Amino acid sequence: MTVIDTPAIPTGAGGRLRWVFIDGWTVTQRAFAHWARNPGVVIFTLLFNVLIVLLFNYLIGGAIIVPGGGEYRDFLMPGMFTMTMLFGIAQTTIAVTTDVDRGVTDRFRSMPMSSAAVLIGRAVADMLFSILTLIVMMLAGLAIGWRAAGSSQAFWGAVGLILLLRFALIWIGVYLGLVLHTEATTSAQTLEFPVGFLSSAFVSPDTMPAWLGTIAEWNPLSATVTATRQLFGNPGVGQSGSWVVENATLMAIVWPVLLLLIFLPLSVKSYRNLSR
Amino acid sequence: MTTSTAPATEGAARRGALSARTRPPKAGPLSAALTFAWRSMLKLKHVPDQMSDAVVLPVMFTLMFTFLFGGAISGTTHDYLQFFLPGVMVLAVTLSSVFSGISLNLDLSKGSFDRFRTLPIWRPSMLIGAALGDTFRYFVASLVPFLVGLLLGFRPGGGVVGLLLALLFLQLFAFCLSWLWTMFALLLSTPTGFQGLTMPIQFVLVFASNVMVPPQTMPGWLDAVVSANPISHVATAVRGLLHGTVTAGQLGAGFLACAAFLVVFGTVTSVLFSKRQR
Repeated sequence: MTVIDTPAIPTGAGGRLRWVFIDGWTVTQRAFAHWARNPGVVIFTLLFNVLIVLLFNYLIGGAIIVPGGGEYRDFLMPGMFTMTMLFGIAQTTIAVTTDVDRGVTDRFRSMPMSSAAVLIGRAVADMLFSILTLIVMMLAGLAIGWRAAGSSQAFWGAVGLILLLRFALIWIGVYLGLVLHTEATTSAQTLEFPVGFLSSAFVSPDTMPAWLGTIAEWNPLSATVTATRQLFGNPGVGQSGSWVVENATLMAIVWPVLLLLIFLPLSVKSYRNLSR
Repeated sequence: MTTSTAPATEGAARRGALSARTRPPKAGPLSAALTFAWRSMLKLKHVPDQMSDAVVLPVMFTLMFTFLFGGAISGTTHDYLQFFLPGVMVLAVTLSSVFSGISLNLDLSKGSFDRFRTLPIWRPSMLIGAALGDTFRYFVASLVPFLVGLLLGFRPGGGVVGLLLALLFLQLFAFCLSWLWTMFALLLSTPTGFQGLTMPIQFVLVFASNVMVPPQTMPGWLDAVVSANPISHVATAVRGLLHGTVTAGQLGAGFLACAAFLVVFGTVTSVLFSKRQR
């Protein structure tokens, strides 16, 4: 009779943490394998973002007034970097929902593996994909003439803020993926556009009607957009003088942390409550 | 002896049961086309999504571009609305016209088309009837954004006459454009393939035009592309009709764009359609 040795579940804190990371990395590699076998999705996602840059810069950009002057492409790119992080929500949601609906998540839960690894693995995979997306977007920006005028520390600070926002948005995607069914994931995609456009990503809130400008300024996306514009040394930060614009860098940290505090526990709770 | 008369009696009874009344006259071309037009109208009742999709998206575009981008493009949302709203009406019928192709493609993939081919009717009535039935959808798709625009402060200088002429012109344009989608419906075998190919075409037709912003603000090479886009000529003509500033040249260019769609894609569709009949 063949005896199959199941790996022993670590008991110490260090061992448990190592176990989480090893299993998490396995789940991350699974996501990579999916992308490698279906490169069309990856290419389409990257090209779609580049297409929006071209659309706004060349078709609409010439007509848009940038507050305080300057080129629209320099105003647009920090907004586009942030928008691509938002567009990633649907990608995360669809991936998680597909696994839940196909029963893959239930299989993972029945295995002798860290329960946290499934969610962490997904988050790591999406973060790495977001870094790739950001690199492609920056290259697209450089190709159309965008330049970061700030210092190298400011540049990396801006990149950090963009990725911090993405990390928070991943958990919104994970949560939606766990609570929605496949048919409902289109609603997550549909929501991205109003949330993205109702921010300072494409136009300055100064040019919007006052009530709408206020909503746009308080959009969590706008904080990251305004902060990265400041750090990249790009124009169009806005002259409204509102508190949220004046403290954009602070808010670019506060908003993602707040979103994490809400959606990370919700995601864990939803994952634990699956199939109950 | 009874055996010889029984089949004869049975046959007579069967014939009597089958032809209790005289066969109805063969449907004429107009009658057949109108029947298919009515079928197209019934689809709106059973698949209301196609109506909501054609209306909701343009209304969303109107609100979004007017309030979010209007001030940044034209200085005030009111000024931008005067430029943008006629363009939205063109956008609405462009998106709405795609459903003609989707509908035909579904008929082809489900086998309904083959059933209709077995009927004693004038063959092109299937396409012409469907195109006629779609006119109601085009009318709603162009009128709803206009009404939303009125609520937001759009004021057409051309008055009621200008509006009616613009709506009629949009009907003509949508009818002509629908032949492009009909052509793709006959070329592609699956609804997924159809939507996959037509989405980018819609995107280019609508966005690479003067629907949202005047081409003068674009780089030179793009200005040339946008100015050559038939949708731009249609949008310019509709703007002129609504504001009462249309010139013979603008209207001529608009009609020429419609004629180009009808002649080119109507001809190709006819060829593809006749090939399918064999």
